[in-house]
Amino acid sequence: MRYKEFNRNRVLEICLSLFWQQGSGGVAISDIVEATNVNRFSLYEEFKNKEGILQAVIDLYRERYSAAKLELLEASGPTLEVLKDFYLSFLNPNYKHEGCFIIHIGTELADTDPVIKAKLKDYLKEIENLISGLLMRDPDLTAHHQTYAKHLTGLFCTSMSFCLIHSEKERLEHITNSIQVITNKSRKHATGTE
Amino acid sequence: MPQVLNNSYEELVQKAQELFWIKGYKGASVKDLADYLNVSTSTIYNKYSKEMLFIDSLEYYNQTCSDPFLKGLRDNTNGLESLRDFFYALIDALLDKSFPRSCLMVNTVVELRNENPHVTKLYDQYFDNLVTSYNVVLDKAIEMGEIKFPEKRDEYSQFLLGVIFSLSILFKINEPDELRLFVDEQLAFIK
Repeated sequence: MRYKEFNRNRVLEICLSLFWQQGSGGVAISDIVEATNVNRFSLYEEFKNKEGILQAVIDLYRERYSAAKLELLEASGPTLEVLKDFYLSFLNPNYKHEGCFIIHIGTELADTDPVIKAKLKDYLKEIENLISGLLMRDPDLTAHHQTYAKHLTGLFCTSMSFCLIHSEKERLEHITNSIQVITNKSRKHATGTE
Repeated sequence: MPQVLNNSYEELVQKAQELFWIKGYKGASVKDLADYLNVSTSTIYNKYSKEMLFIDSLEYYNQTCSDPFLKGLRDNTNGLESLRDFFYALIDALLDKSFPRSCLMVNTVVELRNENPHVTKLYDQYFDNLVTSYNVVLDKAIEMGEIKFPEKRDEYSQFLLGVIFSLSILFKINEPDELRLFVDEQLAFIK
């Protein structure tokens, strides 16, 4: 065989780190070759080009890192706590990279790259559907679940950008406050929940 | 960082800002910058540095794009309607590409986070300016009786800080009508 065999996921993990640190524009194929020790012909054989590598990295991130966090939205417990846990699961300061890779790379590329745009859209739709399901299970919130889910997904976007530059305390305040403002209308009698 | 920019340096910063806006900080190499500014790479290494050009670009952005936009908002006397118009104008700016790639500040937050203390200082100024402007408008809206719980003003302005960040991502995947509806609904939450 002409091409060197390599461990696909190991290569993608290294690329995830590179893309997360440098953005897509800051990573050249030569950087990937150097970091992974896989020659460019083998990379091209497997992924076609840099865009192909990035797309595979997004899929790996969604499967390996994001899926378990999205599952938190299916947990039982007070809705506002479940939501808070979900947002904060991406913002653990002990992680090598905080935030969400798909939002990160989507901010850079989704307006110019249709494949990334479709992936971002699909991902946010999944989050919105999960939040919608969560709200439907709460009698206080079920009436407006679709509108609230849309705006709580907007809050996810905000949390993965705005909150990254704030202290843990400020993040928690912003997230808690925004959840309250969005869902407040139907919780007039539950003001003591803070 | 020079306090007073001379003309030619200011022109360089203007050009550099265009490139950083399109490529991001890390995506614009010194070679790209040199080509774009029509100077040699050694001029950038020795005389300016990429970092200095970037920080001055951000400051230039705040002065020329963000500040006038916010001043318009503060001077408007239409209460919540002026906030709606402000966010609609932001949507138009995002879509017609007069902002080449969303808000430069938002891009920078996502790209660099807290890696650079000079940049962090500029975020603080930017957020202060936003919150102050939102509060000015909310006070007018309260005077006009548009807001049911005036005691929540600070919670509302904090909430509104997020709108620019949500829109900066959502405009990439949603239609203009959906974005305007999103703004209307956000404002309905604070009525």
